[in-house]
Amino acid sequence: MSSPLIEITAKKNSSEAIVEPFYLNLGPQHPSTHGVLRLVLELDGETILRCDPVVGYLHRGVEKLAENLNYNQTIVLSDRLDYIASVANNIVFALAFEKLFNLKVPRRARLLRTIVGEMARISSHLLWLATHALDIGAMTVFLYCFRDRERLLNIFEKICGARLTHSYVRIGGVRLDFTVDIVEDLYKFTEEFPHLITEYETLIDVNRIWLKRTKDIAVVTPEEAINLGLTGPVLRGSGIPYDVRKFRPYDAYDEVEFEVPVGEKGDTYDRYRVRMIEMRQSNKIIRQCLDKLKETEGEPVLAEDSPDLLIPERVREPEPKPHPKRGFIFTGREVSVVPVGEAFASIESPKGELAVYVVSDGSNRPWRLRLRMPSFVHISAIPELTKGHMIADLIAIIGTLDVVLGDCDR
Amino acid sequence: MSLLKKVLLIEILKGLALTLRKLLFDRPVTIQYPEKDKVKPEPGFRGRHALVRDPQSGDTFCIACLRCVKVCPSRCIYIEYEADKEAKKRKITRYDIEALRCVYCGYCEEVCPVNAVVLTEFFEYLGFSRDEVYFDKERLLQNWDEFIATQKRPYLNPFWKPRGIPEKILPIRKRTFTGV
Repeated sequence: MSSPLIEITAKKNSSEAIVEPFYLNLGPQHPSTHGVLRLVLELDGETILRCDPVVGYLHRGVEKLAENLNYNQTIVLSDRLDYIASVANNIVFALAFEKLFNLKVPRRARLLRTIVGEMARISSHLLWLATHALDIGAMTVFLYCFRDRERLLNIFEKICGARLTHSYVRIGGVRLDFTVDIVEDLYKFTEEFPHLITEYETLIDVNRIWLKRTKDIAVVTPEEAINLGLTGPVLRGSGIPYDVRKFRPYDAYDEVEFEVPVGEKGDTYDRYRVRMIEMRQSNKIIRQCLDKLKETEGEPVLAEDSPDLLIPERVREPEPKPHPKRGFIFTGREVSVVPVGEAFASIESPKGELAVYVVSDGSNRPWRLRLRMPSFVHISAIPELTKGHMIADLIAIIGTLDVVLGDCDR
Repeated sequence: MSLLKKVLLIEILKGLALTLRKLLFDRPVTIQYPEKDKVKPEPGFRGRHALVRDPQSGDTFCIACLRCVKVCPSRCIYIEYEADKEAKKRKITRYDIEALRCVYCGYCEEVCPVNAVVLTEFFEYLGFSRDEVYFDKERLLQNWDEFIATQKRPYLNPFWKPRGIPEKILPIRKRTFTGV
């Protein structure tokens, strides 16, 4: 994109009614843009005529970096994409690579992944609610949400030793099993969490300021939502019950029961309701997975033939049948550790549908890695959604789309 | 919303009642971090790096296999070694970790076949210059001494022998390892 400011200035006199529109740069350093997002606004008074999002301030070139790292090291990069829910990124990377490696993940590992994935969803939605409410003007919800997110982060710290950049998932399973302590903590959390959601709802659900700020703001009809490529809670808020967890179940989602909430009108309030119900459903999923975890006590959490963390370039091929006395004999032939081919995996991340497409040329590192990030698509919908709204509503719209710029710019 | 509810601000009063209840009856969740309260990370927290000091020889366990160098995603470990041909052993002459480049993934401690390197649970190690967070071998061993003084012996890091990983995948030294 060339400089949008120059572009707009050239079109200055195209509209007859407005002689001289006002141009405003919102961001890149603005607290309510949730990161480094720059919006070039064309204003008539306080009404937005045009909005031009400029992204790329947080570009780190993850796709290119991945071409120089082996598959397991690439998962470490994925932590830094959507840093609010990094386990979701870990999972989708691992799923794509497992298709490439032809691995079957043990049941316990799949359950553990489902649990951490849903924990990430809750923690992401809590942060979304906190910042969204803060943007609109409700300070107390912000504090309560962070209080409860802290508990989840503490559990994450127990699980994998890190609070934000987990790198918990690896190809073929997960890196560590849960301890009894963690399971107890999670049981306690899932028991208390529905009451905590009720607490937030007491504060804002029927609050007249909240309703005024969210009802009928950025209405997306189902057709528009599909045309704009929206996914996740934003799409479901418009009434389309599309959820990857239901349509193409990965991990252990085919074993658990949960509902996919949908909105009616497709406005900001509906999307808020969808996310609140989703948190309750996630809570239910964690609960069910914890119950199932007891059945798989003592099973390994890593597939037997999964590659080492340090994936070798080439391995020596063993004889098809083991020798009766000497075990496997290695023939001299060297084969590549990954078959040549391509794989695609997509999951329902807290932000929307997150997909990875990977091409392998037989070496231990991806030849090409392509990421489909929900935030990028959602930001591209901002011009459509903001048309005719006030500046103050723009802040609510950025909030309701739940964009993370690390996710968008990758 | 009926007129009575509208006039009496019922929902706002409910919200205020909730915050008042929290104010009066709940314990504060804020911790006065550096002054009063200490934060203790959970076991297995990936913090400052250290090289494990062998209690017998007083030196590191490292055999210079360079697995940590190869697995490091940010390539922040530098090793130089000299080979002793008679004993068929390698001895490290340099082991540097550049903590500013490290991403704290913990892959190095997981792939190390002799559990020589560890990310300790110590996390308060800011420095005013790059040199203060550039750990050479002496500094890494010193980190270990500082850390192990606060721990119960024998110490076993969860990443040295990950829970639930099938044992035959692990190197032989790790299978029987019970702690330092």
